[in-house]
Amino acid sequence: MGEVHDRIVITNDTKFLGFVREFMSRMIRQSALSREDENKIILAVDEAVANIIEHAYENQREGTIDVECLADPQKFVVTIRDSGQQFSPEAIETPDMGSHVKSKKKKGLGIYLMRLIMDEVRYTFREGIQNELVLVKYIGGKPKAPHA
Amino acid sequence: MAEFHIQTKKLNNNVTFIAVQGFLDAHTFEEMEKTINDLFDGGTYRLVVDLSKLDYISSAGAGVFIGAIGTAQENEGNIVLMKPSPNVKEVFDLLGLSQIFPFANDVEGAQKLFS
Repeated sequence: MGEVHDRIVITNDTKFLGFVREFMSRMIRQSALSREDENKIILAVDEAVANIIEHAYENQREGTIDVECLADPQKFVVTIRDSGQQFSPEAIETPDMGSHVKSKKKKGLGIYLMRLIMDEVRYTFREGIQNELVLVKYIGGKPKAPHA
Repeated sequence: MAEFHIQTKKLNNNVTFIAVQGFLDAHTFEEMEKTINDLFDGGTYRLVVDLSKLDYISSAGAGVFIGAIGTAQENEGNIVLMKPSPNVKEVFDLLGLSQIFPFANDVEGAQKLFS
C-alpha cells in the first residue's frame, strides 16, 4: 500500500499540462499522501513543467519532458527530466506580492510555489544532455536530520 | 479533459461580470489576459470574476489578475473575485493574494464593493 512507480513523457507544449495534472492526480491517489495535499502537489509539478517549457525550451525548440513518480509510505518523489538549456532557479527570490501588484508583474511565482509546497526542490543541470529536477514530499512530515 | 471557457456580461454601474470555467494555467492564461485587456481598452475597469466553476488555477493564471488589478484600481475600478472553488482559493492563499483582492459571495455583494 502506498508504493507507486510510473512515468509520463510529453513534448514541450503547454497543451499537455492537463495530461501531466491527470497523471499526477492518479499517482497521488495511489500513494499514501493525504488528499488534502493533492491540489498543491499537482500545482508544484504543473509549475515545474510549465517553467521547463518556458525557460529550458524557451517555448521554441522541440523537446520532451519526462515526469517520473516514485513513492513509498514515507515519501513521494517526482523527478522531472528535460534536455533544454539551463536556467537560474536559485536567482529567483521569494516574491513580495505587494510589489508584484504595484509593478504589474505577472510571472516569477512558479519556483516560489514549488518551494513552498514541497519539502525538497533539487535541480541538476547538464545542459544539452539532461536536466533533472527532483521534488520530494515527505509523508507525515519531514524527517529530522540525524545528530552528528 | 474539461475545456476553458470565459463568458462576459455587462451589469449596472459600468461593471462587467466574467464567468470563468475549466482550467486556468500556462496554456489558457493568454485568453484570460486578452479578455481583461479588451475590457480595459473599452474603458471598463470594474470587473467581477466568477471563479465558482474554475477547477484549477496555476501561477500563470493568478498572474493575469495580479498584473491587472493595479490598472483597474488606477482607473477607479477593481477586480472582485467571486466564490473561488476550494482548490482555487488554496492557490490564492498560498500566494498571499487573499489579502490583496476583494472577494464577494454574490453579484450584489460585489456591486457594493464598487460603490
